[in-house]
Amino acid sequence: MPIISKLSNISQFQSLLRSPVACNIFKNVAARGMGGHGPRTFPMVPTKMQWHKFKDTLHFYVMLGAIPSFALIFYCNVFIGPATLTEIPEGYTPKHWEYHAHPISRFIARYIYPSPQEEYEKTLHTIYLEQEKMKIRKLEKEIKEKMAERRDYQAYYYRPVIAKYHRVAKQVADELEALEGDR
Amino acid sequence: MPDPGPQNTFAAFSAAVYNMIDKPVIWFRERVVEPNRKHYPWYHQQFRRVPTIDQCYTDDYVCIYEADAQFKRDKLVDNEILSILRGRFEDCVLYEAPDHMTKCVDLKDAYEKAAGNWFAKYGDLGATGKAKECYMKQKHRLLWERRHGKVGSGMKTKEESIEE
Repeated sequence: MPIISKLSNISQFQSLLRSPVACNIFKNVAARGMGGHGPRTFPMVPTKMQWHKFKDTLHFYVMLGAIPSFALIFYCNVFIGPATLTEIPEGYTPKHWEYHAHPISRFIARYIYPSPQEEYEKTLHTIYLEQEKMKIRKLEKEIKEKMAERRDYQAYYYRPVIAKYHRVAKQVADELEALEGDR
Repeated sequence: MPDPGPQNTFAAFSAAVYNMIDKPVIWFRERVVEPNRKHYPWYHQQFRRVPTIDQCYTDDYVCIYEADAQFKRDKLVDNEILSILRGRFEDCVLYEAPDHMTKCVDLKDAYEKAAGNWFAKYGDLGATGKAKECYMKQKHRLLWERRHGKVGSGMKTKEESIEE
């Protein structure tokens, strides 16, 4: 209340406040650090980087790894459930994924892995091809040995020079001469 | 007769502690899991019999590969059969506890005989034991039996051996 009555006299106080005497009074006031943004200093504290990095990694692996896996496995076990073992009905050949019980194993067998019968037959085919090659090579070896022993069949043994590579070399040489001229 | 339930306070207390975990699990299984599950079949694969190793030519590698695969499957089946016999014998011993020496003799003999046969066929073949090695093992055993008598009756010296 007394301040309001003194508002009309504020112009008299302004010149008084700016005098050198008044400046000294304002320099020795205690600085209270309430509210405000405090003195501007750099806080020297030990690093908390490992703790923050740990939280970050844990968060990543739980949110993107543990929780989706758990949700998928929970759904597969509770809402689909494993199959029941039954006799094979007459005249029916089950598909290769129907030989697994758990729904995730069935999914992997159906969409990711090739069927075991397919792999088996591919292996048998590879073995058959290699076996045929073995037989041919064995026969060739026997023929060569017999020819070496009897020395009476020259045609198979002796391969004359073929002109194919000479023709290619000649063509290249002609083209180079056309480009660069006679050197 | 139906289960009479806990007979005294301590039994009731331990039953209560057990049920603290058991009852919620059973409730969850019977009310949430079982009704929501789908019912669909799975089967045990039936494999056709293919020619065994003694019916294959020595340079017919396709036949040999198929005989090896069949040998591996038969070995897995024989392992399971042996496990079942062993399990029966061990269950008998557990159940009959002090009298097991007299009451479980039949099962023991059956298991020991089966284990001996399993070893005669599959034992000591090594990790890469294939059908051919097993066949050769049988051949060597028959030769040995021809010279020295039944397996287990001891080895004779060269002069005493039966064949010569």
